[in-house]
Amino acid sequence: MRAALFMGWVALALGGCASQSFSMRGLPPETPAADNAAAIKAAAVLAAAQTDASQRALNQEGPSTAPPLTAADAPSMYTYDPWERVNRFTYRVNARFDEAVFLPVANGYRRVPAPIRSGVHNFFENLSELDSVVNYAAQLRLGGGAHSLGRFLINSTLGIGGLFDVAKRFNLESDLTGFGTTLSKWGMHPGPYFVIPLLGPATLRDSVGLLGDFGIVYAIDVAQLYRGNKTWALGVVDAVDQRSNTSFRYYSTGSPFEYETVRFLYVHKELIEDEALHVKDRPKKRDVTAPAGK
Amino acid sequence: MKWPRTFLALGSLFFGATALAAAQPNTLPPTIGPATGLADSAGLRATVFGTPPQEIAPLPETVPLQEINIALPWTRAVPEVFWFDGRLRVWFSGQDKPAPLAIVISGFGSDGNTTKISILRGALYGAGYHVLTMPSPTFPGFIVSASSTGVAADLRQDSHDLYAAMQQIIAHLPREIQITDVDVLGYSLGGANAAVVKSIDATEGKLKVHRAVMINPPVSLFESVSRLDKLFAINIGSGDAGVENLYRRLYTRLANLYRNSDRVRIDESDLLSAAAAVLKTDADFSAAIALTFRTALVDMFFAADLYAGTGVVVNPRSPPRLGDSLEETARILRGKPFSEYFAKVFAPYYLARRRDSTPESLRADNRLDIISDALRSNPDYYAQTNSDDLILDKPELAWLKATLGERIAVYDHGGHLGNIGERRQISDMLEMLAGRWQHTATR
Repeated sequence: MRAALFMGWVALALGGCASQSFSMRGLPPETPAADNAAAIKAAAVLAAAQTDASQRALNQEGPSTAPPLTAADAPSMYTYDPWERVNRFTYRVNARFDEAVFLPVANGYRRVPAPIRSGVHNFFENLSELDSVVNYAAQLRLGGGAHSLGRFLINSTLGIGGLFDVAKRFNLESDLTGFGTTLSKWGMHPGPYFVIPLLGPATLRDSVGLLGDFGIVYAIDVAQLYRGNKTWALGVVDAVDQRSNTSFRYYSTGSPFEYETVRFLYVHKELIEDEALHVKDRPKKRDVTAPAGK
Repeated sequence: MKWPRTFLALGSLFFGATALAAAQPNTLPPTIGPATGLADSAGLRATVFGTPPQEIAPLPETVPLQEINIALPWTRAVPEVFWFDGRLRVWFSGQDKPAPLAIVISGFGSDGNTTKISILRGALYGAGYHVLTMPSPTFPGFIVSASSTGVAADLRQDSHDLYAAMQQIIAHLPREIQITDVDVLGYSLGGANAAVVKSIDATEGKLKVHRAVMINPPVSLFESVSRLDKLFAINIGSGDAGVENLYRRLYTRLANLYRNSDRVRIDESDLLSAAAAVLKTDADFSAAIALTFRTALVDMFFAADLYAGTGVVVNPRSPPRLGDSLEETARILRGKPFSEYFAKVFAPYYLARRRDSTPESLRADNRLDIISDALRSNPDYYAQTNSDDLILDKPELAWLKATLGERIAVYDHGGHLGNIGERRQISDMLEMLAGRWQHTATR
C-alpha cells in the first residue's frame, strides 16, 4: 500500500513537472567568497602534493615497483555495454526521477543549517567505516582496516555517535573502501556497464559491490539500525545527504551524447583505479582491443 | 548503503575532466602558433587554468540563485534524442530593490551556468545588478529550445534568437523584480552576441539595452574556428585515430600517476592535480583546448544536421530513436572540422533560404564588422581583451582597437578568458557597465 502511494506520488511529480511553460525555482544560494577562499587553500594543497609527487618520481619511491604503463597498455576507448538498450532506458528514468524528486528534495535539504548537515554526513560516513574495516581485511590491507577501525572508535565515542569527525583532528583522514574494491582486488573485472535504477551509473562489479556492502552493514547491524522501519528512513536520509553533496546534474551538458560521455568517464575512471590497486601484482596481459571493462 | 559514490565519482570526474580539458567547459578556445604569431606558453596555460583564485576580485558572501525554465512559443517539435532540451534554461539572481539588469551570455557551446559565469554573476550581483545568465546560442539546449533555425553559429540569426528569448524571459519575471536599466555582456562568442543584440535592439527598441561589454570576443568566428581546427590537426591528428592516440597518452599518464600515489580512490583534488601533472607541453595544452572546442562542435554539428536534414551523420528519413546508440555517430563527428560543418550543413541551409547569398557573403556576415559603424560611433559599446588572446590575430586585434578606440581595454596577459574574474578585469568591467571607464586605466 505504501509502495503504491509512493509510486502514485512519483507519477504525479513526473507528470506535473513538464507542463508549465514558465517556471522559476530557487536553488541554494551561491557562496563565491567562501568558494574562492576554499580554492586558494586547495591550490596550496595541490602545489604541495605536486612537489611531493615529482620528488617521489625523481627518487623512484612509492608503491610502484612495476615498470610504468605505456600507451599500448591503455584499454580500448570503447566501453563494454551489452545491455545498452536497457541501460539507456534506465538512465532516462533516473534523470526524470532526479529532476522531479531527488534534486528538489536535496536542494530543500541544503537549507538546513550547515552544522546539522555536516553532523548527518559524518554520521553516515562513520557507519560505513565498519564496512571498510571488513573490506580492508578481505583485501588483506590490514593497515587500512586499523585506520578505519580507529576512526570508527574515536568518532563513535569522542565524536558522539559519529556526529563529529574528531579523528580528522588526529590526522586520521577518511579513507573508505567497499566490497566493489575488494572484488577488484580479488581479480574480478568491472564487467558490463550497468545503470542501476534510481542510483546511477555503475558496472556489474560495482553493483555486486553495493549489494555486498549492504549485506555487510546488515549483518553487523550496529546499534540495531538496520532492522525494521527505521532502515528505510535512514536510507532515505543517507541518499538525500549524498545527493546534496554531489554537483552532478543530469543533462546539464545539453548533449545528445551524454550517455556515452558518462559511460566513458565512469568506466575509465574505474579502470585507472584498478591500475593503482593492482600495481604490486604481476602485470596482467590485457586484450586492449576488447571493449573496456570486458 | 554506498551507492551514491557512483554519483560522487561522476561529479568529481566531470569536474576533473573539465579541468583536464580546459578549465572552462565549452568556451571558444584559442588558436596558436604560426596562424597568429601571438601565442605563447603563458597564454596557453592561462587559457587552460583560468585566473588563479588568489587573484580573483572580492566577491559577495552569498548570491541568491534561481533557475528559470521557459518554453518559447516559436520552438519547433523537439527531436526524440533531445527530449531533455525542450525548455530553455537560464539563471537569475535578483536584488530585492529596483536595480539595473545585467544579462550575461556564455561562450561557444557553453551553458549559462559555467564557472566563469558564476564569477561574473558574483561580481555583478555584488555591484548591485540583477543578473540573468544565458547559454550560448551554440549550446545544444539553446539550439533545441530557442533557435528558430536549428542551424547555429550565424552571428545575426543567433543574436536575434537570443534577443527574442530575452524578451520572453523578462516579460515572465515576477512583478516585484524592478528593472531600472538593461545592459548585456558576454565572453568569447557570447561577447560578439552581446554586441549584436545591442545593435538589434537599437532598431527594435524592445529592451532598451543601454551598454554592451564584450569580453575576449572573436572578430571573425569562422577565422578563429578554422585556426582551432588547424590546432586540432597539428596537436591531435586527423580524425578519430588522433583522438584515440591522445586518449591513450592521457590514460597512461593518469594511470601511472595513480600507481605512484598511495591513494587508490580518485577524488576531486586528486584529479585536479592529475590534470595539472599530465598536461606538460604546449602541445598538450593546445590539444586539450582543441579537443574541448571539438567536443562542443560535435554537439552543434549533430543538432544542425538533424534539424536541417542535410544527412551528414543523421539520416533525415529515420532519425535516431531514444534507445539507439550514438557512439558511432559521435566517433564520426569527432573527426569533422568546422569547415565541414560550414560546407555540408551551414552553407547549404542558409544559401537555400537567403536570396543572393554566397558562401563568401555568409562568411562576411559572420564578422563583427557587420556592426562596425555602431562599434565605432556609439559610446555604449566596450570591450576587454588580452594581447595574448589566441583567438585573435594581429590584424584582428588592431581592428578592434581602431574600431573601439578609447573603449577597449587590452591586458598583457590572460590568453583567452584566462583572466576572467581577476581584480583589474572585474573593476574595469564594472566601470564600463557604469559608463565611467577611462582609457588611461588600461595596462
